[in-house]
Amino acid sequence: MGIGNKKITKLAEGINESIKTDEALFDFEEYDDSLAERTGYSNYSYWRSTFYVFIKNRAALFFLIIMIALLVFTFIQPILPNQKSPTQIYIDPATNMQLRNHPPDSEFIFGTNSIGQDLWARIWSGTRTSLMIGLLVAIWQAIAGITIGALWGYVRSLDRFITEAYNVIDNIPTTIILILLTYIMRPSIGTLVFAMCITGWRGMALFVRNQIVIIRDREYNLASKCLGTPTRRIITRNLLPYLVSVIMLRMALAIPEAIGSEVFLTYIGLGLPISIPSLGNLINEGRVVMMVSSLRYQLIFPAIVISIITISFYVIGNVFADAADPRNHI
Amino acid sequence: MEYNKREVLLEVNNLCIEFGRKKKNRFRAVDNVTFEIYKGETFGLVGESGSGKTTIGRAIMRLNETSKGDIIFKGHRINGKISKEMDKELTKEIQMIFQDPMASLNERAKVDYIVSEGLYNIKNYKNEKERKEKVENALLDVGLIPEFASRFPHEFSGGQRQRIGIARALVMEPEFIIADEPISALDVSIRAQVLNLLSNLQKKKGLTYLFIAHDLSVVRFISDRIGVIRKGKIVELAETEELFQHPLHPYTQGLLSAIPLPDPVKEKHKILKVYDPKCHDYDKDKPEWVEIGRNHFVLANKREQEQYKKVLKEFN
Amino acid sequence: MMEENVILSVKDLVVKFKLRGRILTAIRGISLDAYEGESLAIVGESGSGKSVFTKTFMGLLDKNGWVDFGSIEYKGKDITKYKTENDWIKIRGKEIAMVFQEPMTSLNPLKTIGKQVEETIILHQGLRGENARKAAVDILKDVGIPEPAKRYSQYPHEFSGGMRQRVVIAIAIACRPNILICDEPTTALDVTIQAQILELLKNLKRKYSLTIIYITHDLGVVANVADRIAVMYAGDVVEIGTCEEVFYNPQHPYTWALLSSLPQLGIKGKELYTIKGTPPNLFNEIKGDAFAPRNPRALKIDFIKKPPYFSVSPTHKVKTWLLDPRAPKVEPPESIKMLRSQWKVNNNGI
Repeated sequence: MGIGNKKITKLAEGINESIKTDEALFDFEEYDDSLAERTGYSNYSYWRSTFYVFIKNRAALFFLIIMIALLVFTFIQPILPNQKSPTQIYIDPATNMQLRNHPPDSEFIFGTNSIGQDLWARIWSGTRTSLMIGLLVAIWQAIAGITIGALWGYVRSLDRFITEAYNVIDNIPTTIILILLTYIMRPSIGTLVFAMCITGWRGMALFVRNQIVIIRDREYNLASKCLGTPTRRIITRNLLPYLVSVIMLRMALAIPEAIGSEVFLTYIGLGLPISIPSLGNLINEGRVVMMVSSLRYQLIFPAIVISIITISFYVIGNVFADAADPRNHI
Repeated sequence: MEYNKREVLLEVNNLCIEFGRKKKNRFRAVDNVTFEIYKGETFGLVGESGSGKTTIGRAIMRLNETSKGDIIFKGHRINGKISKEMDKELTKEIQMIFQDPMASLNERAKVDYIVSEGLYNIKNYKNEKERKEKVENALLDVGLIPEFASRFPHEFSGGQRQRIGIARALVMEPEFIIADEPISALDVSIRAQVLNLLSNLQKKKGLTYLFIAHDLSVVRFISDRIGVIRKGKIVELAETEELFQHPLHPYTQGLLSAIPLPDPVKEKHKILKVYDPKCHDYDKDKPEWVEIGRNHFVLANKREQEQYKKVLKEFN
Repeated sequence: MMEENVILSVKDLVVKFKLRGRILTAIRGISLDAYEGESLAIVGESGSGKSVFTKTFMGLLDKNGWVDFGSIEYKGKDITKYKTENDWIKIRGKEIAMVFQEPMTSLNPLKTIGKQVEETIILHQGLRGENARKAAVDILKDVGIPEPAKRYSQYPHEFSGGMRQRVVIAIAIACRPNILICDEPTTALDVTIQAQILELLKNLKRKYSLTIIYITHDLGVVANVADRIAVMYAGDVVEIGTCEEVFYNPQHPYTWALLSSLPQLGIKGKELYTIKGTPPNLFNEIKGDAFAPRNPRALKIDFIKKPPYFSVSPTHKVKTWLLDPRAPKVEPPESIKMLRSQWKVNNNGI
């Protein structure tokens, strides 16, 4: 009973206390001007949000890791111990003959091809070559495509002229140009890159041009015009930064596309010579012996590598493009 | 008010602006518009969407081309071809504030670059330190904190973004500012902030404004004189209070009657005047742009002019 | 007024959103009743939560939002408990319909407007074929579309903004709803068209015995159409009363600021009354009165404890500590006092 009373009195005291302090609370508070301004500020960062949305997609993350692992391995492979040369023809010490079509084992991890070269070394060397070609072509596509596309889209006086030129060029099939060029010039990495660059810029240029036509009349661009900003600075500081994410998507897809073109050219006999291993060459060699089941590994291994590269770039590119769209930043 | 003694800053004479490439079927956005703007005043240009008011503003800013007529600034013709020096000078002297604060700032650039963009173009500063100072002062003038210069537009609210847009125009130290519906896209309580800001800046820096709007109540508060535009033609022009007390053209009367009043009793008993273009008979008697009262212009034919003169006489 | 039925009853509603990994509380405990046959206006600026509030009546919350607490009772059922589309289909359109702000995006550009109105009729009124068409033409006439039979087969792009909004209203009332929610129906329209659309809504309300809920930030619009006004700030209703009470006798500092900042009440040459700063960040938990940081006459208790409703009259409630008997007397701004004296004049005049 005594305890109960104590509790009640304590409660009553508490209430009295709060009423007393409440009285003081009805005074005016100091007013801070700048506090009001700060409430409008938010901490949103575009690239950080893009990163988080990208990471959330598990498939993209998976392929990104695989791609990075593949790239790293491709370039450190030559300096690992016990690696063989991709071009050297290996002789079987027992029979003193070329180690042709040797199936995969502990010494030749991927086996050897029909003239005795180590497939494992050839595949990695070929991947390096193909990736390099793909990268060079993608970079060129970006530079030429963006420049032409930007001028095409923004400078109205050039619009008509470039559109007509584009339509003419577009009607010439890419394949014919590629074939012609590789036929005229000696087959080499340089020729191949050159040929693909000549034909590859069109897609990017048209794409950039369309995007720019959409945003060129937005108010912030008009404002820049009013302020006297010259055309080149409007393109580089107002328009292109908007297109960074979509441009990167196209570049990402350009790499597997280039590799695909290279495979095709090799198939029709106009690719790199066999002395320079590339994924195209390897696929071609593998295709020749495809019918023999014991030799099928010569096709399967390079095919797997190409598939991994293509699928990875594709998924990464698409997910990145989605992640870079501010509307997906939830 | 002795208008003859006041300096005319901008003259628009018989301005026509047409759109469309073909010779026929060109769309006439602005049809034979004439008005003057005096130094130091706020001229309100009011009209509904599609009336051509934004087109006029952009033509003065040289964003649109004109088809006929002249735009004369400080005595020089500024539409059509002009020299590079004049172009540079006009970039400094005439600036524009846009409507949508969400679309009028470059999202990928820092506020520092956005406000300095004009300075970089006309090179109106001696060294980096001076440029930074100008940016800081511009931000302070519009009521923002200088540290905001290192942030991006998306970090700010609509009202703050609009103020950044105003700072961008101010930093050029212009004489004449075209404000194209600067508060339509803002929230109601923010509108008052921006209106006060524009008013104060005008007094402080001796600016002249062309205030384009569709909301007559806003225009009444901030303008000295008002011009009413309908479908590319200017139908009435007068001093603000004169226009509100004695609107002559039936379209102006319709606009005035449609203004929502924040007074429930008055609003609920209001009778709406609807403008019918058929009330004019312009078949034989063509309308002209004439001065009826003191500095009160109307688009009217001879018969209507007589009517309006009578109306004004009754009030005087 | 007191004997009127309550058609929609909101009790302690809390709505949250998951945004960029954080939780945002958009509605922070609203209790509100809508009476049958009235025009209720919900006034607030962007960020106040007014659109979110009315979207919960129709189950139109975005996927990352949910009702965290509270209930909405309509015809005896708690509609916050509806989770599936099947449940909502019985209500949406038929019982509660909505008119959105942008007439350009509310209509399907690929279908004739007649077809769009007809579809709603077929769906909700069960008419078919020629009957449905006739009913559609009738409704188009009701909303003031001239030559409705001819314009029946025209596409949205052939109509002006005001006409399109009329079509949207036609589609909304085609199903004879009980409640019509209009979300900023005239903001995108010119002033003269706005006046006409508001007249139209008033007429339709009388003809079809609708209950209309207006959402807007434009106090001029509200003065014309509303019977009662609820002022929203930062996800809460801070003042609610009849139209005349809120305009002529506002008690909340935010309402004062909202009214005084109207240019119609401004005096040329003098500054308009403004509130500094911007609405609060709803990601953070708000302690006390949400309006306190922007209120130059805030009391210390405003930063500590959320104020309860204080009644000014049986129909007028305000959530502010200023009405507490212990609070000091605060004078409203000049323009508010002007409005008040105006009211006294009007009242005496009548």
